[in-house]
Amino acid sequence: MSEEVVQCQGVTRVYADDAVPVHALRGVDFAVHKGDWVSLAGPSGSGKSTLLHIIGGLDRPNDGSVSVDGEDLGPLSEAQLSDLRLRKIGFVFQAYNLIPVLTAVENVEFIMQLQGVGASERRDRALEILDRLGLDDIGDRRPGELSGGQQQRVAVARAVVTDPVLLLADEPSANLDTATTKELLELLRNINENHGVTIVTATHDPMVMGYAKRPVNLRDGAIESDGSTTDTSSDA
Amino acid sequence: MKLRLLVQLGWRNLWRHKRRNGILLGGITFAVASVVLANSFIRGMQVQMADNAVDLMNGHVKILAPGYLDDPGIAQSFEVAQDWQPDALDGITPDMVAGWASRVRVPAVIMSERETRGIQLVGIDPASENISFVGKLAVEGEGLADAADRRVIVGAGLAEQIETLVGRRIVLITQGADGRNREAGYRVAGIYRTDSSSLEKIFVFTGRDTVQNLLETNVVTELSVRVTEERFGPPLLQRLANVFSGLDVMTWQELDPTAAAMTAIIDVAILVYFFIMMGALSFGLVNSLVTAVMERTREMGMMRAIGMRPRSVLLQVVLESTLIMGAGIAGGVLLGVLVYLPIADGVDLAAFDEALSTFGLSNVLVPQLIAQDVILVVVLSLILGFVASASPAVRCMKMGPLEAMRR
Repeated sequence: MSEEVVQCQGVTRVYADDAVPVHALRGVDFAVHKGDWVSLAGPSGSGKSTLLHIIGGLDRPNDGSVSVDGEDLGPLSEAQLSDLRLRKIGFVFQAYNLIPVLTAVENVEFIMQLQGVGASERRDRALEILDRLGLDDIGDRRPGELSGGQQQRVAVARAVVTDPVLLLADEPSANLDTATTKELLELLRNINENHGVTIVTATHDPMVMGYAKRPVNLRDGAIESDGSTTDTSSDA
Repeated sequence: MKLRLLVQLGWRNLWRHKRRNGILLGGITFAVASVVLANSFIRGMQVQMADNAVDLMNGHVKILAPGYLDDPGIAQSFEVAQDWQPDALDGITPDMVAGWASRVRVPAVIMSERETRGIQLVGIDPASENISFVGKLAVEGEGLADAADRRVIVGAGLAEQIETLVGRRIVLITQGADGRNREAGYRVAGIYRTDSSSLEKIFVFTGRDTVQNLLETNVVTELSVRVTEERFGPPLLQRLANVFSGLDVMTWQELDPTAAAMTAIIDVAILVYFFIMMGALSFGLVNSLVTAVMERTREMGMMRAIGMRPRSVLLQVVLESTLIMGAGIAGGVLLGVLVYLPIADGVDLAAFDEALSTFGLSNVLVPQLIAQDVILVVVLSLILGFVASASPAVRCMKMGPLEAMRR
C-alpha cells in the first residue's frame, strides 16, 4: 500500500467569479495509495467534489501540485490532460454518464475506441466486463431503455474496462435507491478488492462512506479527518 | 478509427431530432436544387446570348476592313482568295472550325411600288451560312439557291412595311466605291421570319456575286469564322491576325460588347444567387447546430471528462454539419437533375417575348446543366457547412469539461 497513485501538495482552489472569492480548497495535502478506496466526505461546499475534479484533471488548482501515477498534472495542456484521463483514470458521475445514442456495449467500447483498440478485441473486452458485472443481457439497449442503477453499472463497466490506475466517482449513488446503491457499492468493492483498482469517491451518502476503506472528511476546504475502517459492509 | 467513431456518433445524433433535422435537410435540399436549376437557366441564357451574338453573322472571329464599323460601305472592303480556308492555317485543324462565310454588306435603299426603306443589303453564299442565323431562317417562299442567285429574301417586318409579297419585284439602290449610286430590280424569292422583328426590318439578303456585280467589284466587306468550341477562338484569332495583317480581326465580344458584358455578368450572377440562397440557409444551419450543441453540452462535457480530446469534440460538431449538409447537397443535386431532365430540351417562354428579345434571347430557353456549375455548388455548399459549424464547434471545444457538465 506504499505506492502513491495520487499525490496532492498544498492544493488551493479559489473561485473568483463572484465579487467575493470562494475558497474551495485551502492548501490540501493528500495522498491515495494503490489499492485504496478513499471516500471524500463532507457537507456541501466542503471542497470534496473540487478535490475530486482536480485529481481527475477536470479542474486546475490556483496553487499547489497534483500528480497521478507519478505524472504531474500542472504543466499538462488540455489535450494532454484528456489523454491522461483516457489512459489512467476511469470516471463515474452522478448523471449524464452514458452517451445516449450508443448502446450499453458501445458505451463500454467508447473509451477503447478513443484509445485505438481494434474492433474485435474491443467488443470481446466490453462483453466480458458486462458479463462479469452481470449486465450481459442489456448490451444491446440504449441508456434511455435502462434503469438508473443499470446505467451506473454500465458506467462503472466503461470506467474499468481499460484497467485504469484510478477510478473516480462523483456522487455515484445520488440518483439511486438504497437497494441499487448497495448493488453498485458491492460492484465497486469487488473491483477494488479483487482487481486492485484504486477508487476515490466524493459523496455525502453514508452508505458509500461505509464501503470505503478510508474515509476522509473535508470542511471549509480543508481535511478535517483522515482515517481508515476495517469492515464496513455490515453498515450498508 | 476515431474518425469512424465520430462519424457514427454524428450520424446517430442527427437521428435524435428527426423532425428538426428533417426540416433542415429539406431546406438544404430545396435550396441546392433551386440553385442547381437556377444556374442551369442562367447558364442557358448565357449560352443563348453568346450563341445569338455569334449567330448574328459575327462568328467567333470576324475580319473587317479598318474603318468599316464607323462607315460601313463597299469602300471599306478587302479581297479574299476563292480557295481560302481557315483550317489551312498553321495550328488550326478542321475539327476546330465549324465554318466560315464571306459577305458583302452595304447600306442600301429598298423600294417597292408603294414604300421606300433604308436597309442593310447582305450578299451571301447560302452554302456557307450554316454558321449564322441566316442558315436557319424560316422562309416563306424560296430561299437563295447560291452565291449567284439574283433574287432577294426580305424579312416579314420589312415586307409588311413596304407592302410587298413573294414573287413581287423590288428595287435596290446602293453606293459604289466610286461614290456613284447603283440600282437594280430584283424579285422577292422569299420572306423570312425570326424571333426579332428588328432583324426582319434591317436585313435583305441576296447572292454575294449579285451584290459584287451590282457594285462592279470582287471584294467582300466581312469574313466570319465560327469555331466548334469557344476555346478555339483565341488561337484562331492569333493566326488570322497574322494572315490578315492590316485588317481588323475581332472577336464577337468586341463586335457585340453589350452581349459580352451580359454574359460576363452572368458568371457573377450565378455566384450571387448561390450566396443569397445558401447564405439565408446557413442561418438555419447555424441555429440548428447551436441548438444541438447547447442541448448536448453536458454530454459533450462528459465525453471530454472521460478522455475525448477537445479537437475531437470540434470535429464531431463539424462532422454532424457536414453529414447533414452532404445529405442535403446530394438530395438537392438529385432533385435538381430530376426536375431538369424533362425540361432539358427547352422551356417555352413566349409570354415574355418582348422582355426576352430585349436581351437578345429567343422564346425558347434551353437550360444548360454544366458539371462545373454543379461541382461549384457542391464545393461552396460544403465550405458553407464548415463555416456555419465553426462557431458552435469552437464554442464547444473551448468550454472545459467541468464547465460543460455543470450547464
